[in-house]
Amino acid sequence: MVVIDLEESEKTVIGELSELQSAEATGVLSINNVSEQNRIWNVRVLLDDTRGRTTFEEDVLHAGEIDAGSQWRTEYGIEIDAPVLTLTEVYDTCSTVESEKPHWAYAFGKENPVRITITVKNECDGQIDDIAVTKWIPPELDNVVIESMESGNANYDPENRQVVWNDFIVYPGESSTLVITATATVEDSSPKDAGKILVTYRAEGQQRSVLAPDMTALTDFLTGIDTAETEPNQWECTLECSNESDLMVRLDRAEAYVEPEGGGEKVKMIDEAPALEMEPNAEWSKMFEIESKSPPRCTHDVVYTPMRTVTKRVLGTIEKVPQTIPVYQIDYMKEFDPPSVASFDKTPVEVTVEVKNVGSARLNEVTVEDHLPDDVMPPKREHITVWVKGEEYTGDYEFSIEPDDQDPEKPHTLTFRITGLKDTVGELEPGESIKINYAIMAWRNRPEKEYPSPIHCTANTYPAGLITEIGSAPDGHKLGVIYKKRRIAVKKGINRGAGAGEYDVVIVVENKGEVTVENVVVRDWIPAGFEFQSVDPPEEEPSLQSAEDGTDLIWRWARMSPGDKKKMVVHVRGEGEYERREPVVTSD
Amino acid sequence: MLRIRYFGHSTFALESAETSLLLNPGIWDGEPVVPDDFDVRVIALTHHMDDAVGNATAIAENSKAWILGNERTIERVREQGGRPWLLHVLRPEEPYTIPGLSITPYSLQRADPDTGERFENLGLYIEMGSMRVGYLGDTVVRGPFGQLEMDILITPVGGGDVFPIKDAVSLCIDAAPRLGIPARASSPDQVSKFAKYVDQFSSSTVPMVMEPGQVLEVMWAAGNEFRYTLS
Repeated sequence: MVVIDLEESEKTVIGELSELQSAEATGVLSINNVSEQNRIWNVRVLLDDTRGRTTFEEDVLHAGEIDAGSQWRTEYGIEIDAPVLTLTEVYDTCSTVESEKPHWAYAFGKENPVRITITVKNECDGQIDDIAVTKWIPPELDNVVIESMESGNANYDPENRQVVWNDFIVYPGESSTLVITATATVEDSSPKDAGKILVTYRAEGQQRSVLAPDMTALTDFLTGIDTAETEPNQWECTLECSNESDLMVRLDRAEAYVEPEGGGEKVKMIDEAPALEMEPNAEWSKMFEIESKSPPRCTHDVVYTPMRTVTKRVLGTIEKVPQTIPVYQIDYMKEFDPPSVASFDKTPVEVTVEVKNVGSARLNEVTVEDHLPDDVMPPKREHITVWVKGEEYTGDYEFSIEPDDQDPEKPHTLTFRITGLKDTVGELEPGESIKINYAIMAWRNRPEKEYPSPIHCTANTYPAGLITEIGSAPDGHKLGVIYKKRRIAVKKGINRGAGAGEYDVVIVVENKGEVTVENVVVRDWIPAGFEFQSVDPPEEEPSLQSAEDGTDLIWRWARMSPGDKKKMVVHVRGEGEYERREPVVTSD
Repeated sequence: MLRIRYFGHSTFALESAETSLLLNPGIWDGEPVVPDDFDVRVIALTHHMDDAVGNATAIAENSKAWILGNERTIERVREQGGRPWLLHVLRPEEPYTIPGLSITPYSLQRADPDTGERFENLGLYIEMGSMRVGYLGDTVVRGPFGQLEMDILITPVGGGDVFPIKDAVSLCIDAAPRLGIPARASSPDQVSKFAKYVDQFSSSTVPMVMEPGQVLEVMWAAGNEFRYTLS
């Protein structure tokens, strides 16, 4: 039989997230004259009302003559909405953290546990075979493993960095899935290419158009009427047809007419619609009898056509655009203002921490863990200011201080956790930052001591996957201490008193240094034979302590600021020579 | 009750039912902060420079007010024509007392803006209107004020020749007055930082930022409850 072949090809492009970007289909309609020796001609392809959504503009195509073993073909376009096979890829950059939606970015500096799930689904009512799926594996991925496949074979070719999945069939309405796992490590924060996917397939017996083509043609076929007188004026007329070709021919209509001897309208003597399928060299005849004095004048009308069969298939390709995988990375800045404080002093210090999105992905949360050393009074929450994207942030955020007090003798850890940005001020875009400012009070820091204030910052995306982090060295961000010299002077004068044996001893203690001194102790001495009487001012009365050769006078002050001066006049009474010894002053 | 009026820079007037006290009516950029006809009973000057002495002589002349200061300051006022019978030299730690007012001066220091050398600036411990007020003038050191009990502390915060913010805050933490009033700021930022730091790090002091022209009323309600109102 003559073959009418419909080969329709669909080409689909899907986007980064497997969304349909374009689906185009074209077809080739061909008439293949499979005869070895017989030509067919007057070939007409009948499309009738099935050419909808194609580019055919006529219901009938005129194919003309087709020699034996030859082909006539025409191309057409088809309007389609979707392919018969759909492809979805889920590229999850963090398979170890469960989430409703896949993770879509790499954490900088981490080994990202990637899971690639590729699914093909048959959307038509016939099976699809010869499916071949090729996935390009990006260079960031290592430890590539075919974790599972529902059917077929899948292999990873490390040389070409391709996973090829083939040798499987997908039945109508069903799907098949391949899972690949790998580890991704990125060296920089530029967006990465997740690798494209190419799928080819074949659906035999399927078509994308609704074309139902038929055909009429002529070929070598004999027809005629044999008139034979059986008795005087009695005639036997036989309409004879014979298939002279090597093609199957269908006899659709056979009619025979006789013209009356006296003239007038032709009379139809045979009116058949046998729909007879005639093998090569097969014959068909039909006889009628008629009375006529002269040989009857007969005519006939025979309609036949070479038989045809229709074959069809859909060939398809799907190309998936590689998903772009951004990288999330942060950098930070921490500053003290002033960067150094005077020793033994109390100095407010502004602390500014800025965490910047230096990656290519949006961030949904940022955490800052700031460690304050001892000899520093930490802030209260109400004195902390946070800016997001340059604007003061009034949304809620988590803040904790451990231990939860303002004791400057203990080190403290401040934790700031700003989450859910996508639902408040929007995710932190690349280049944007979060800034935190608060004040601490440096509390009498000692010059010989170091005050490291290390910091650790993390960030994450939505949905949350692995954190990206950055931090200082454990002894980083030292609060400088400027050594301010302590200078405390003590002077003494011995003056005669009003009466005999009375002396007024003047002691002047002065902090001439640049810093406050603490635990100041001044020790003077009254020689044996003399006794302490009183002191001016009375509130500066010393404590008395017996010594081997007299009495020690001791003054103690908790604190003396720069410029502080104490002047005491000690009245003593006794006998003998009042020996002078220099007072001694000590302090912290 | 005590009313504290702020004129700007370091200048304050304290008024009680019994008397009134003007502190450092200085001249800044050639302009007096306090009008010559300001009526007051006592004028206290913490040092001899123009930003403290200002037009004190003219004010005293008009209102017949006493002028108090250290020797160098009184000498300066005398040179300006101050009436000798209205001048009184304050000596460190010697209280000056009149009805309704007691002032105990303490010898503090201030830096000369040109040479950087230090000279005496008196810190005044003022008892007036049932309040104890520490007024540090233009000091660069705190002296004994860290140990004095005060209801109100008026402290410079401008840095340079006078206290930087840190020393003003530190003094509030140590002395723990009920109110801490910043003065002589060279920028609004210094005042806001003082207020922020005192609020944050001092458990017992309320920072009280005053704008020029504002009046603060402080009183003991029912004899023992400290109350204040800022106009």
